[in-house]
Amino acid sequence: MLELAIGIILGSCALGAGIAMIAGIGPGIGEGNAVAKACEAIGRQPECKGNVTTTMLMGCAIAETTGLYALVIAILLIFVAPGRLVDILMSTIG
Amino acid sequence: MAKIDATVAGETKYIAVWVVILSAVMEAVFLILGMWSYKVLLGNILGGASAVLNFLFMGITVQSAVMKDEKEASMAMKASQSMRSIMLLIVAVLGIVIPVFNAVAVIIPLFFPRIAIAFVPLRDRKKNIGEVKKDGE
Repeated sequence: MLELAIGIILGSCALGAGIAMIAGIGPGIGEGNAVAKACEAIGRQPECKGNVTTTMLMGCAIAETTGLYALVIAILLIFVAPGRLVDILMSTIG
Repeated sequence: MAKIDATVAGETKYIAVWVVILSAVMEAVFLILGMWSYKVLLGNILGGASAVLNFLFMGITVQSAVMKDEKEASMAMKASQSMRSIMLLIVAVLGIVIPVFNAVAVIIPLFFPRIAIAFVPLRDRKKNIGEVKKDGE
Protein backbone atom coordinates (compact mmCIF):
# COMPACT_ATOMS: atom_id res chain seq x y z
CA MET A 1 0.00 0.00 0.00
CA LEU A 2 2.86 2.38 0.91
CA GLU A 3 4.62 1.61 -2.38
CA LEU A 4 1.40 2.42 -4.23
CA ALA A 5 1.08 5.76 -2.41
CA ILE A 6 4.71 6.66 -3.19
CA GLY A 7 4.18 5.59 -6.79
CA ILE A 8 1.12 7.84 -7.08
CA ILE A 9 3.10 10.77 -5.61
CA LEU A 10 6.01 10.29 -8.02
CA GLY A 11 3.71 9.75 -10.99
CA SER A 12 1.64 12.83 -10.17
CA CYS A 13 4.77 14.97 -9.79
CA ALA A 14 6.10 13.77 -13.15
CA LEU A 15 2.72 14.35 -14.79
CA GLY A 16 2.49 17.83 -13.24
CA ALA A 17 5.98 18.68 -14.50
CA GLY A 18 5.02 17.56 -17.99
CA ILE A 19 1.82 19.60 -17.94
CA ALA A 20 3.74 22.65 -16.64
CA MET A 21 6.11 22.41 -19.59
CA ILE A 22 3.19 22.84 -22.00
CA ALA A 23 3.54 26.53 -21.10
CA GLY A 24 6.95 26.40 -22.79
CA ILE A 25 5.26 26.12 -26.20
CA GLY A 26 3.65 29.59 -25.92
CA PRO A 27 6.80 31.74 -25.85
CA GLY A 28 8.22 29.91 -28.88
CA ILE A 29 5.12 30.61 -30.96
CA GLY A 30 4.89 34.20 -29.65
CA GLU A 31 8.52 35.00 -30.35
CA GLY A 32 8.25 33.44 -33.79
CA ASN A 33 5.26 35.63 -34.65
CA ALA A 34 6.95 38.75 -33.24
CA VAL A 35 10.09 38.20 -35.33
CA ALA A 36 8.00 37.48 -38.45
CA LYS A 37 6.14 40.78 -38.02
CA ALA A 38 9.41 42.59 -37.30
CA CYS A 39 10.81 41.28 -40.60
CA GLU A 40 7.75 42.69 -42.32
CA ALA A 41 8.20 46.06 -40.57
CA ILE A 42 11.91 46.27 -41.41
CA GLY A 43 11.14 45.33 -45.01
CA ARG A 44 8.69 48.23 -45.17
CA GLN A 45 10.90 50.75 -43.32
CA PRO A 46 14.57 49.63 -43.32
CA GLU A 47 15.67 52.86 -41.56
CA CYS A 48 13.79 51.74 -38.40
CA LYS A 49 15.81 48.51 -38.06
CA GLY A 50 17.56 49.56 -34.82
CA ASN A 51 14.36 50.64 -33.07
CA VAL A 52 12.43 47.57 -34.22
CA THR A 53 15.22 45.21 -33.11
CA THR A 54 15.47 46.83 -29.66
CA THR A 55 11.71 46.72 -29.06
CA MET A 56 11.50 43.16 -30.33
CA LEU A 57 14.42 41.97 -28.18
CA MET A 58 12.77 43.35 -25.06
CA GLY A 59 9.41 41.87 -26.07
CA CYS A 60 10.96 38.47 -26.72
CA ALA A 61 12.72 38.53 -23.33
CA ILE A 62 9.41 39.32 -21.60
CA ALA A 63 7.62 36.57 -23.52
CA GLU A 64 10.31 34.11 -22.54
CA THR A 65 9.79 34.72 -18.82
CA THR A 66 6.54 32.72 -18.89
CA GLY A 67 8.49 29.76 -20.25
CA LEU A 68 11.01 30.22 -17.45
CA TYR A 69 8.27 30.16 -14.82
CA ALA A 70 7.04 26.86 -16.27
CA LEU A 71 10.58 25.50 -16.29
CA VAL A 72 11.12 26.38 -12.63
CA ILE A 73 7.76 24.86 -11.61
CA ALA A 74 8.63 21.67 -13.51
CA ILE A 75 12.06 21.47 -11.86
CA LEU A 76 10.54 21.98 -8.41
CA LEU A 77 7.96 19.27 -9.13
CA ILE A 78 10.68 16.83 -10.17
CA PHE A 79 13.40 17.56 -7.61
CA VAL A 80 11.73 19.09 -4.54
CA ALA A 81 8.06 18.07 -4.37
CA PRO A 82 8.45 14.22 -4.31
CA GLY A 83 10.81 14.30 -1.32
CA ARG A 84 8.59 16.67 0.64
CA LEU A 85 5.40 14.75 -0.16
CA VAL A 86 6.94 11.39 0.74
CA ASP A 87 8.15 12.93 4.05
CA ILE A 88 4.59 14.15 4.75
CA LEU A 89 3.24 10.68 3.90
CA MET A 90 5.74 9.00 6.24
CA SER A 91 5.01 11.38 9.10
CA THR A 92 1.26 10.84 8.60
CA ILE A 93 1.64 7.05 8.71
CA GLY A 94 3.97 7.39 11.69
CA MET B 1 30.82 33.66 -36.68
CA ALA B 2 28.69 36.69 -37.62
CA LYS B 3 29.56 40.05 -36.05
CA ILE B 4 27.25 41.04 -33.21
CA ASP B 5 25.00 43.97 -34.12
CA ALA B 6 25.54 47.21 -32.13
CA THR B 7 21.90 47.17 -30.94
CA VAL B 8 22.19 43.60 -29.66
CA ALA B 9 25.55 44.31 -28.00
CA GLY B 10 24.15 47.44 -26.34
CA GLU B 11 21.06 45.71 -24.99
CA THR B 12 23.12 42.74 -23.77
CA LYS B 13 25.46 45.15 -21.96
CA TYR B 14 22.45 46.82 -20.35
CA ILE B 15 21.08 43.44 -19.21
CA ALA B 16 24.53 42.33 -17.97
CA VAL B 17 24.93 45.49 -15.87
CA TRP B 18 21.51 44.96 -14.28
CA VAL B 19 22.26 41.27 -13.65
CA VAL B 20 25.45 42.30 -11.80
CA ILE B 21 23.55 44.93 -9.74
CA LEU B 22 20.71 42.55 -8.86
CA SER B 23 23.21 39.76 -8.08
CA ALA B 24 24.91 42.06 -5.59
CA VAL B 25 21.50 42.80 -4.02
CA MET B 26 20.75 39.07 -3.83
CA GLU B 27 24.12 38.35 -2.18
CA ALA B 28 23.42 41.10 0.33
CA VAL B 29 20.00 39.60 1.14
CA PHE B 30 21.59 36.17 1.67
CA LEU B 31 24.22 37.81 3.90
CA ILE B 32 21.57 39.64 5.96
CA LEU B 33 19.55 36.43 6.37
CA GLY B 34 22.72 34.64 7.54
CA MET B 35 22.47 32.11 4.71
CA TRP B 36 25.50 33.24 2.72
CA SER B 37 28.21 30.75 1.75
CA TYR B 38 30.53 30.21 -1.21
CA LYS B 39 27.77 28.00 -2.69
CA VAL B 40 25.52 31.05 -3.02
CA LEU B 41 28.27 32.96 -4.83
CA LEU B 42 28.99 30.07 -7.22
CA GLY B 43 25.28 29.54 -7.86
CA ASN B 44 24.84 33.24 -8.51
CA ILE B 45 27.72 33.25 -11.01
CA LEU B 46 26.28 30.20 -12.84
CA GLY B 47 22.71 31.57 -12.91
CA GLY B 48 23.72 35.13 -13.82
CA ALA B 49 26.09 34.04 -16.58
CA SER B 50 23.46 31.76 -18.12
CA ALA B 51 20.82 34.52 -17.94
CA VAL B 52 23.10 36.95 -19.83
CA LEU B 53 24.16 34.23 -22.29
CA ASN B 54 20.50 33.35 -22.90
CA PHE B 55 19.75 36.99 -23.74
CA LEU B 56 22.84 37.23 -25.98
CA PHE B 57 21.89 34.07 -27.89
CA MET B 58 18.37 35.42 -28.32
CA GLY B 59 19.80 38.69 -29.64
CA ILE B 60 22.08 36.88 -32.11
CA THR B 61 19.12 34.82 -33.34
CA VAL B 62 16.97 37.96 -33.73
CA GLN B 63 19.83 39.70 -35.57
CA SER B 64 20.11 36.88 -38.09
CA ALA B 65 16.33 36.30 -38.26
CA VAL B 66 15.49 39.85 -39.38
CA MET B 67 17.53 39.24 -42.54
CA LYS B 68 15.41 36.20 -43.49
CA ASP B 69 11.89 36.02 -44.86
CA GLU B 70 8.96 35.87 -42.42
CA LYS B 71 8.44 32.10 -42.36
CA GLU B 72 12.14 31.28 -42.00
CA ALA B 73 12.53 33.93 -39.27
CA SER B 74 9.61 32.48 -37.32
CA MET B 75 11.04 28.95 -37.57
CA ALA B 76 14.54 30.12 -36.58
CA MET B 77 13.16 31.89 -33.51
CA LYS B 78 11.12 28.86 -32.43
CA ALA B 79 14.16 26.58 -32.81
CA SER B 80 16.35 29.02 -30.90
CA GLN B 81 13.80 29.30 -28.09
CA SER B 82 13.68 25.51 -27.73
CA MET B 83 17.48 25.26 -27.62
CA ARG B 84 17.79 28.06 -25.09
CA SER B 85 15.10 26.48 -22.90
CA ILE B 86 17.06 23.23 -22.93
CA MET B 87 20.21 25.17 -22.01
CA LEU B 88 18.43 26.80 -19.05
CA LEU B 89 16.97 23.44 -18.01
CA ILE B 90 20.47 21.91 -17.98
CA VAL B 91 21.81 24.87 -15.97
CA ALA B 92 18.96 24.64 -13.43
CA VAL B 93 19.34 20.85 -13.09
CA LEU B 94 23.12 21.20 -12.65
CA GLY B 95 22.50 23.86 -10.01
CA ILE B 96 20.18 21.57 -8.09
CA VAL B 97 22.07 18.28 -8.53
CA ILE B 98 25.67 19.46 -7.97
CA PRO B 99 26.11 20.26 -4.25
CA VAL B 100 28.70 22.97 -5.00
CA PHE B 101 25.88 25.33 -6.05
CA ASN B 102 23.03 26.77 -4.00
CA ALA B 103 19.89 25.85 -5.98
CA VAL B 104 18.00 29.04 -5.08
CA ALA B 105 20.99 31.20 -6.04
CA VAL B 106 21.12 29.49 -9.45
CA ILE B 107 17.41 29.86 -10.25
CA ILE B 108 16.71 33.44 -9.04
CA PRO B 109 19.25 35.15 -11.40
CA LEU B 110 17.47 33.58 -14.40
CA PHE B 111 14.67 36.11 -13.77
CA PHE B 112 16.98 39.15 -13.50
CA PRO B 113 16.72 40.10 -17.22
CA ARG B 114 12.94 40.40 -16.76
CA ILE B 115 13.46 42.81 -13.86
CA ALA B 116 16.03 44.75 -15.94
CA ILE B 117 13.50 45.12 -18.75
CA ALA B 118 11.03 46.64 -16.28
CA PHE B 119 13.48 49.55 -15.95
CA VAL B 120 13.81 50.12 -19.72
CA PRO B 121 11.10 52.84 -19.84
CA LEU B 122 13.12 54.75 -17.21
CA ARG B 123 16.25 54.57 -19.37
CA ASP B 124 14.32 55.59 -22.48
CA ARG B 125 12.80 58.55 -20.66
CA LYS B 126 16.28 59.72 -19.59
CA LYS B 127 17.52 59.31 -23.17
CA ASN B 128 14.56 61.31 -24.52
CA ILE B 129 15.13 64.12 -21.98
CA GLY B 130 18.81 64.22 -23.04
CA GLU B 131 17.85 64.43 -26.71
CA VAL B 132 15.33 67.22 -26.03
CA LYS B 133 18.01 69.17 -24.13
CA LYS B 134 20.45 68.72 -27.04
CA ASP B 135 17.81 69.93 -29.52
CA GLY B 136 17.10 72.96 -27.28
CA GLU B 137 20.75 74.01 -27.37
